[in-house]
Amino acid sequence: MNDLINDLYQEIILDHGREPRNFGECEPHNKSADGHNPLCGDNLKLTFLLNDQNIIEDIKFTGEGCAISLASASLMTEKLKGKKIEVAEEIFKDFTNLVSGSDEDLKVLNEEDSLYALKGVGGFPMRVKCATMAWHAFKQALKD
Amino acid sequence: MGDSKTLNLNVRKDFPILSKKILEKKDLIYFDTAASAQKPNAVIDETNDFYENHYSNVSRGVHTLSVESTFRYEDARKKVQKFLNARSENEIIFTKSATEGINLVAQTFYEKFMQKGDEVILSLIEHHSNLIPWFFLRDKYGVVLKFANIQPSGEIDIDHFESLFTNKTKIVSLTHLSNVFGTELNEKVISICKDKNVPILLDGCQSAAHLKIDVQKLGCDFYVFSGHKTYGPAGIGVLYGTENLLSEMPPYQGGGGMIGDVSLEGASYAELPAKYEAGTPPLVEAHGLGIAIDYMNKIGLDNIIEHENEITKYAFNKLNEIDFIEIHGGDNKRNSIISFNIKNVHSHEVSSFLDVEGIAIRAGHHCCQPLMKHLGVNSTARLSFGVYNTLEEVDKFIIAIHKCKEFFNK
Repeated sequence: MNDLINDLYQEIILDHGREPRNFGECEPHNKSADGHNPLCGDNLKLTFLLNDQNIIEDIKFTGEGCAISLASASLMTEKLKGKKIEVAEEIFKDFTNLVSGSDEDLKVLNEEDSLYALKGVGGFPMRVKCATMAWHAFKQALKD
Repeated sequence: MGDSKTLNLNVRKDFPILSKKILEKKDLIYFDTAASAQKPNAVIDETNDFYENHYSNVSRGVHTLSVESTFRYEDARKKVQKFLNARSENEIIFTKSATEGINLVAQTFYEKFMQKGDEVILSLIEHHSNLIPWFFLRDKYGVVLKFANIQPSGEIDIDHFESLFTNKTKIVSLTHLSNVFGTELNEKVISICKDKNVPILLDGCQSAAHLKIDVQKLGCDFYVFSGHKTYGPAGIGVLYGTENLLSEMPPYQGGGGMIGDVSLEGASYAELPAKYEAGTPPLVEAHGLGIAIDYMNKIGLDNIIEHENEITKYAFNKLNEIDFIEIHGGDNKRNSIISFNIKNVHSHEVSSFLDVEGIAIRAGHHCCQPLMKHLGVNSTARLSFGVYNTLEEVDKFIIAIHKCKEFFNK
């Protein structure tokens, strides 16, 4: 099998794509945003609860999409739960650099992170939007 | 894999891109002609030659290069006229795209013939480019849009279509060949419009290079297509309209080239077709389209159609045998397009997987989101064929599809 495909679809991606974690709506929540990829019609709804210490207490998503977009959303919720907003924003920056094939040094993510499994997306520029859809929804929710 | 006389078109050498290796090692199998067709040498070379030897603006100067450019531009119009069998060159308007052609008709037809509360009939299978220009009329002017249902086969439900007409129906706009199902519009639809004396626009983006087009025989009032889907350059489109309607409708955009006489108090407008061609047109692209038409004529459109039909039927039968494949639309005749899904595998995965095998297919909603909703899918994978495809490529694709299924269901 082609290395590019194996890099893109690592076992953890296929697993989270088939069985996304934190799938559903967060109740109660005080932040939410919709993610949408107009090129393919994939979409998701992200909800989370930010407490008064600016910590993401709980975070969930629903939606439909390809394995990459579902796995990315699923791994994102696992990673961000319990994090302070400032840290979450650093992770956002690292993650978008990671999947867009940028050579900028990562500050908070490393090869041990499950999110690192999405690095293979860099070999498929047209799929970067799939991988970042949930993340942009997260950023959007913080703005609203 | 059967032998066939139609497969001996021997045209692959005409398309330089077909010798490209994908990811440095895989032969390119291009099954995305419905999105855009590849270009033969003749179009590439003639386009270069235009810039190198003949280029100037058209219909403006009197010097040699202006004459040479104008000749090529107008010669392309003649070729398009013959290609569509329009009555006159005045009925051929060059646009930048088929999309622009539909927008032009929607805006100017409304201005001349419609008012608030008047109705337009469209259908569920339209491409966004044959929806949004009409949405603009609904949003801006209170025009009412009605949508014909489709049958499970993907064809328009004729009875439902006919039931949508009222005395307020002013125009009908439908795809001539569905970019999702590959099914041709039933001629009966056009005769219903004739009977009711309502003009019909056909979106010919998918039919222009894959069916023989005779606008007089079809009896449509408008027909649009794009150059890039007919082996020509992107940036050039064609609007055919009957001289009667085009003469009555007002100009679309204002600018150079579309005027009769201008003073500071006002202007008169040029005769057809210049009336609708404000600004410097995509002249080199128009010439390229003319060359693409020459190219198709050289091979023979009948041969191209027969060739594509054979490949489409072959691929359809092969896909239909596979239990994990769901084909959208019925078993009816298709022209060069098949949409499908692998059960439980998103079309993006299919497309990325095939990509590394060198196979280019389209994945997504195909600019038909209302239709996707109707089909109950988020997206589909789509195969579409052109003059350069072969049965052998289909065989390779089928092997790759099995590998793909295995990979994602491991």
